[in-house]
Amino acid sequence: MKYEEFKKIVIETAEKKGLTDYELYYDSSESVSVDTFRDQINKFSSSTEGGVCFRTLLNGQMGYASTEDLSPEEAEAIVLRAVENAGVLESAEESFLGEAGGEYAEIKQDLQKLPSAEELVKFALAGQKIAYAADPMVIDGTSTRLMNISEKTAIFNSRGLDLSCENAATGIIAAAVVSNGKEMNNSFDIKIAPLDDALLKETVEKSVKSAVKKLGAGVAPTGAYPVVFAPEAVSALLGTFSSAFSAENAQKGLSLLAGKEGQTIASEKVTLIDDPFYAENPFRRPFDAEGMPAFRKEIISGGELKTLLYNLRTAAVAGVKTTGNASKYGYAGAVGISPFTLVLQPGELSEEELLKKAGNGVYIDSLQGTHAGANPISGDFSLQSGGFMIENGEKTGAVKGFTVAGNFFDVLKHIEALSDKPEFSSMGGQTAFAVPAILVSGLTIAGK
Amino acid sequence: MISRALCEEVLAAAASTGADYAELFAEKTFNRSVSMLDSRVQQSNDNVVAGVGIRVFKGLRSVAASTVDTSREGLLRCAGQAAAALGEGTAQISIVLRERLYGDIHPVRLVPGSFRPAEKADILKKAYFAAKNADPAIVQVQGNLLDVDHNILVANSEGVYAKDRQIRVRLTVNAVADKGEGTQTGSASPGARKGLEFFTENVDPEAVGREAARQALVMAGAGYCPAGLMPVVIDNAFGGVIFHEACGHSLEASSVAYGTSQFAGKLGQQIANEKVTAVDDGTILNAWGSINFDDEGTPSHRNVLIENGILKSYMIDKFGGRRMGMAPTGNARRESYAYVTTSRMTNTFICAGDDSNDDIISSVDFGLYAKAMGGGSVNPATGQFNFSVREGYLIRNGKVAEPVRGASLVGTGSEILMKIDMVGKELERAQGMCGSSSGSIPTDVGQPMIRVSSITVGGR
Repeated sequence: MKYEEFKKIVIETAEKKGLTDYELYYDSSESVSVDTFRDQINKFSSSTEGGVCFRTLLNGQMGYASTEDLSPEEAEAIVLRAVENAGVLESAEESFLGEAGGEYAEIKQDLQKLPSAEELVKFALAGQKIAYAADPMVIDGTSTRLMNISEKTAIFNSRGLDLSCENAATGIIAAAVVSNGKEMNNSFDIKIAPLDDALLKETVEKSVKSAVKKLGAGVAPTGAYPVVFAPEAVSALLGTFSSAFSAENAQKGLSLLAGKEGQTIASEKVTLIDDPFYAENPFRRPFDAEGMPAFRKEIISGGELKTLLYNLRTAAVAGVKTTGNASKYGYAGAVGISPFTLVLQPGELSEEELLKKAGNGVYIDSLQGTHAGANPISGDFSLQSGGFMIENGEKTGAVKGFTVAGNFFDVLKHIEALSDKPEFSSMGGQTAFAVPAILVSGLTIAGK
Repeated sequence: MISRALCEEVLAAAASTGADYAELFAEKTFNRSVSMLDSRVQQSNDNVVAGVGIRVFKGLRSVAASTVDTSREGLLRCAGQAAAALGEGTAQISIVLRERLYGDIHPVRLVPGSFRPAEKADILKKAYFAAKNADPAIVQVQGNLLDVDHNILVANSEGVYAKDRQIRVRLTVNAVADKGEGTQTGSASPGARKGLEFFTENVDPEAVGREAARQALVMAGAGYCPAGLMPVVIDNAFGGVIFHEACGHSLEASSVAYGTSQFAGKLGQQIANEKVTAVDDGTILNAWGSINFDDEGTPSHRNVLIENGILKSYMIDKFGGRRMGMAPTGNARRESYAYVTTSRMTNTFICAGDDSNDDIISSVDFGLYAKAMGGGSVNPATGQFNFSVREGYLIRNGKVAEPVRGASLVGTGSEILMKIDMVGKELERAQGMCGSSSGSIPTDVGQPMIRVSSITVGGR
């Protein structure tokens, strides 16, 4: 059964039950991926996923129900389940549905014409050739994976909203495994961008190079050092702690930034922007998960916290307007809050100059276990890291097997410099990042 | 669920271009959850996940396709895509399915789906308010009660046509404490492959709430953990996450088959201290990670992975097993039809040894006692792992001393396994969700108290 027919039955059922405030959210995606082992395609997969979420406001409570089963029976059942769920809720805050009439940005949806499955196969095999040719230490297990993703989101509600948006992109996932006979190491890189030969070569070779460079890595000595976080590591940190910018967390006592709007929370060098239309991000959106217009905003400007991120409900609690940051984790999730693309404004130093400024310290380009070794509420982190020592302003020996510990909110205050080159990264999650490298003073390294 | 006749038709279509193996996995899952925050029920959600995944193999190639369209036409279209992606050829196998009744060894007395959300909220409230009212320093509590009714059908060209209904429940309480030195969290989250009787027969919801609060209160009064190399004592139950991360993932065929595991090619060799015997057992009665048969239709097993330090077995799915030349071990799992099945853990633990807890603690002059572990992750190729210590104490002169916050453990699986030099007697398991390429699945970790002679502790 098609979504449009399903939608019709849902609306009929809702009207029959006398519901006056409801929303139907639809999310579907198609993906095709090819993966390689040695010089062969060893895995191919395609998937069609999607589901709908129905929610309704009853006696001030928002009841949800969702399903992937787009059958006529489910179209009725989902309405009844949402009503039952609303009945058990005790929320003290008012809930809202999006109102129609907002102004939406025109996004040039240059819906990339995605490569065909045959082309993906060709690129994946070419990627393997490039990987094996890149270094004699490349071993089996090295793989090039190519993936097409296209997705569609639609929101309909009883207030007159009827929106939809489509996006599509191709991604390269280059995973290099290298060995020098004594030790094995791996590295992987994801690039989501229009596919061409040059991009493939660059991504695959970068992955091989970074795996090779880390062979023979020592353990960093324990101590307090200046640390240069590479863009990858800055993205990992921001991704882990961006929940602190959510007004939802602030209002629930789960963010230390509660009540800090208008105050200085970071070094004056820090300007952090949320941009739903960031050009390099193929998944740009004119509206958020409540159907409200998305827009670009400064979160931190010159160190000052300008705004937290709001959806309709939290904005009403705070007496402000929504920032259009309502989000959903999949079609079934409750409406929460998240940024689109977090852009950390670059500084003026080249990476070489940043290293010089650091003098003697540690360069970190890999942070692992952010879901475990970091506390998004307190900001404390102690994370498994990898990178290089910095000696006399230059990157020297590779180091691994150590942790870097500190507090995210202290890090924000102690950013001494930023590099001039932002790097865009997206792991396919809700939030993407465009960030430069940063220099932070005095973090604790625990190694040997 | 899809009839045997239709499965045969779909598998034949999937195998029509020369596949030597074809498989259909169909699912209809009811996920329900009730959540509390700020002392109120804030969410009551339910979600139906329904769809089909089809896979075909030809030699060492695998093609997977999945769809939410489970009509006959939808299934045949999906099978056609898989067949086309495999290449050109003619049918090499014939499909004859025979129904298997593997049986369900995990009784469920109170099927959660037959209770109303309000009745589940009552269970959650007991746990929630036990945490909230434990101490004035508890400033916030989050609580969640989830139940999953996962109905699966597996049919494959080896003749399997089998159904299973996996019912699971889990209660999670996170407490936040603040004694004026920054907030700290505590957590407890027991679960089982069982119905709501779990909360009367096995686990007292109030005790779950109190435990989360206790942990948060201890950590709120703690100073930072010192950093450096030191002996570490890891307590039982969720402490077993060390084995799960440091070793378990590297024993999965998904990395072993491609040589990208620190333990590839090491069967029969010593990879751990002789004190270490470890098992993956998907057959434990009502355990969170238990399955009657895996998502490829292979009955679940108890697999001894390491015996007295010697590597005995890997955890193997059909596709990984082809490259390894080894039989599947009942470990093929996927979060849902939309993920491609691979080798995963079920209930994985270090077996009981013969050291007493007192002897283990008193053997350490200065070190860390990790009473409760948080989550972690590992790179199976290098074996490098990290995990966080949720509740830690320093050990001074053989005695447990002051609590410390912010500790994490990092190291390499192969090194740490050799350094487990004391193993206690009291094995306990705890529940977790394990994420990997085939999605997020329920697994148990477990161990008795162990001592690791030296490990890098990240702190500050």
